[in-house]
Amino acid sequence: MQQLNHKDITPEILFNQRRSFLKLGAASVVASSTVIELMAKENIPPANLTFKKDLNRDHLELNTFKQITSYNNFYEFTTSKKGVKSLAKDMNTEAWTITIDGLVEKPLTLDVKELMKKYALEERIYRFRCVEGWAMVVPWIGFELQKLIKDVKPLKSAKYVQFWTKYDEEMFPDQRRGIFATLTYPYTEGLRMDEALNPLTLLAVGLYGKTLENQNGAPIRLVVPWKYGFKSIKSIDRISFIDKQPLNTWQKENPKEFGFYANVNPEVDHPRWSQKTERVLGKFVKQRTLLFNGYEKEVGHMYRDMDLRKEI
Amino acid sequence: MLLLIPLIYLVLELFIFQTAIDPIKYIYTVTGATAITILFFTTTLSLWFKKLIKYRRMIGLFAFFYAFLHMCNFFILDVNADLLFAFKETIDKPFIYLGMISFLLLFFMAATSTKKRFRKYRKYHKVLYIVLVLTTIHFVMAQKSLSVSQYGYLSIMFVIAFFKIKKILLPKGT
Repeated sequence: MQQLNHKDITPEILFNQRRSFLKLGAASVVASSTVIELMAKENIPPANLTFKKDLNRDHLELNTFKQITSYNNFYEFTTSKKGVKSLAKDMNTEAWTITIDGLVEKPLTLDVKELMKKYALEERIYRFRCVEGWAMVVPWIGFELQKLIKDVKPLKSAKYVQFWTKYDEEMFPDQRRGIFATLTYPYTEGLRMDEALNPLTLLAVGLYGKTLENQNGAPIRLVVPWKYGFKSIKSIDRISFIDKQPLNTWQKENPKEFGFYANVNPEVDHPRWSQKTERVLGKFVKQRTLLFNGYEKEVGHMYRDMDLRKEI
Repeated sequence: MLLLIPLIYLVLELFIFQTAIDPIKYIYTVTGATAITILFFTTTLSLWFKKLIKYRRMIGLFAFFYAFLHMCNFFILDVNADLLFAFKETIDKPFIYLGMISFLLLFFMAATSTKKRFRKYRKYHKVLYIVLVLTTIHFVMAQKSLSVSQYGYLSIMFVIAFFKIKKILLPKGT
């Protein structure tokens, strides 16, 4: 057996250093995902909402706060997705009331702040798919629309729910452009009653733990994750219960290309481009689009008897 | 060369500053807008920029280069180099085949732009005017809805078209 001499013995200080180095290594492996999360959150303004966390059972990879808040379709400001953020900076969402009327027993007009107190907020991590072919994953904060619907008690004759974005020419530059406006305003969208009552349908008031940024549709917007993004109307002013299917803004603009339902469907192309794949924001490689945006289990039953090629 | 600026800008935005949130779309926009701008510019050389006319071939080749990047973006990143799918999409959708026809015509012009070949094919280079019409339609179709700035671009295109047609139709010297 070889004799150990002095130089073979690791000095205590080095021994300890090595120990702590190994510990650090192990710790960094364990912590890396948390660290990445922390780093991703660096640019996020502090959270100001209390809510129940979403467990993210599908392990969806969140888009960054910066991506979600810097790439927006909000035609009331501009058609430039990057341009919305700066134009929306001065939008005043204080004392914003929302009116609920039409075929209901208890119509109401309420400050959005009151609404946020009335309903417990929860996080919903949803896929978001734009009809243009880009997609992202957003941690919304909000409450189920069905809770509000149950409180206002719709009449039996109410078959559809219609939503309007605020009309305010001071607030939204494109609304004062008259015949040069990109769309006819106020922007309006609608859902069938069963769609509105589906537990996935959310009235969102925040994302990433914080109240909505103006460019994302502050102070309150709809989120219908299995439909193309234009259904998820922003900055809602009024919700109305009606008996006939409403004519939505994009449907009116171009009925051949945009239907009432606008369910995400990789098998039904937009006339100008394919819907089979999608560009996830921040990525160079596309991914496959899922039927109903991956929510077939939750919503597929509502469309069982419909021809999804015709009823777009 | 000034005409490389859009490419440098694109590369910087994509890889250095990483400010392009939707990279594939961004490549489409920058390469497409540059190609179409250069194409319209080449037709104005004989109208307003006669001094630059000796560079006409070079400028035209730059337009082709941007159109080529635009097409590569479609084929490589957008349809994931799936030849069959790319073919089906092209046949199926006017938006895509208008762009593709334009690209093939530009390719023809680029391939016959050497001094020797140009002598033979010169008269066929008038297909540029077809390309201009098709790419304008392609540009309009790329938008979900036209905005004020896009009406601006379109009016510039129409002004150029107006002067060009006037020049072609009216006999020389008037």
